[in-house]
Amino acid sequence: MAGDRRSRILALLGSDGDSDGPALSTDRLCAVCAEVVNVEGAGIMLMAGDVQRGSICTTGPVSARIEELQYALGEGPCVDAYEESRPVREPDLVHPVVLRWPAFSEAALELGVGAVFAFPLQFGAARLGALDLYNPTPGDLSVDQHADALVMATIAAEAVLVLQAGARPGRVALALEAQAEFHDVEHQAAGMVAAQLECSVAHAMIRDAADERDGGGP
Amino acid sequence: MTAGPAGGAVRCVDLARALVALADTLVADFDVVELLTLLTDRSVQVLGVDAAGLLLLAPEGDLRVMASSNDTVRMLELIELQAQAGPCLDAYRGATPIVNQRLATAQGRWPRFAPEARRAGFAAVHAVPMRLRGTVLGALSLFSADESARPLADADVDAAQALADVATIAVLQHRAVFEARVLNEQLNNALNTRVVLEQAKGMIAQRASLDMEQAFVALRGYARDHNLRLADVARSVISGALPASRLAVPRGAQRA
Repeated sequence: MAGDRRSRILALLGSDGDSDGPALSTDRLCAVCAEVVNVEGAGIMLMAGDVQRGSICTTGPVSARIEELQYALGEGPCVDAYEESRPVREPDLVHPVVLRWPAFSEAALELGVGAVFAFPLQFGAARLGALDLYNPTPGDLSVDQHADALVMATIAAEAVLVLQAGARPGRVALALEAQAEFHDVEHQAAGMVAAQLECSVAHAMIRDAADERDGGGP
Repeated sequence: MTAGPAGGAVRCVDLARALVALADTLVADFDVVELLTLLTDRSVQVLGVDAAGLLLLAPEGDLRVMASSNDTVRMLELIELQAQAGPCLDAYRGATPIVNQRLATAQGRWPRFAPEARRAGFAAVHAVPMRLRGTVLGALSLFSADESARPLADADVDAAQALADVATIAVLQHRAVFEARVLNEQLNNALNTRVVLEQAKGMIAQRASLDMEQAFVALRGYARDHNLRLADVARSVISGALPASRLAVPRGAQRA
């Protein structure tokens, strides 16, 4: 029952579900996502203008790197889940039926990631981003895990909106910033490079992306 | 009409069809007025009454006539609102159904509404609240013209309440989705603006030999001095329309 899943998840988040929304922070959000679906790790990517803008939480270095890779490469499960508004599963990165994300998959395998799954974060017509899940060994999610992940993604979407509700106009809510990686330094660097080279910021960002593809961080 | 199981006028199959019809309107971006108009029309058919009207609490906090099965009822509901007394308001305030009120004897209870409703040709009136758990959103009123019409049975009232409940859930869901969309647009906007701001800070820092904090102060100072939005100033810097040299450098901030 979806209702049972929902109350169980809200209990894990420390909310009774009767208040205006789950009373929570992003501190535990990704940990609860991984716990509920019973996978190794989780990360939540926010999108705006159909572009990845950064993660609001991750469960550890591997999930943080999964978010970074998708941010820098512009490809990966969260990108597809958001664009297609549906769950995306790659249960076996070693032997994929179709190689959907060549650059991402190669880097993810090097990290020791065997399977990735992404679920869109949406509430009604509002699309916010995607929930990324991973396991070190290949293997698909069970029917129950899949159902848990769907409910979890909906609750995470609500949580993001509830947290953003108190923000100052034009700003991301401080509560969403707490664990976030919005890549400020990279955008600043792009601006600096553009000023140095007298080129456009877009050009400077393409250079950054090329550096990322050529291996290693920015 | 075949009598229903508990002696009411409602046939289960009619009620089921009406509920399905209501649910069928709940596609993404459905129109609330359309849904509530369907509710009043179907209520008339299913419950064997002659007319129906609906008052709904607007997001601004006041009750409004949102749907009616005909213009006469619309006028009656407006009169009820003006007089602040009538069956819908009683059902709304008490969060409980008002059943089988004969208008001929209701003048004391509703001094303006009751005589107007009788002049319009109605003999009896009923109303059910639109409620979900603690929230009351409005009320649905039902009008019978025939003086000798059989009174509504408990089963009829239950059916009316079921129809109103489905519509209530739909309206609440619609509002939640609307709020979510507004919040998501704000978040999108904030995330996009942030990228532009950070890039502009980088350009200013590089051109004017400032650190990021000082670059932000220069950016914000220009926006305030010229009464512009921060994001717009940042975009001008990035496009080159506003050279970084035109931004006032904070006092004592210039790096050696």
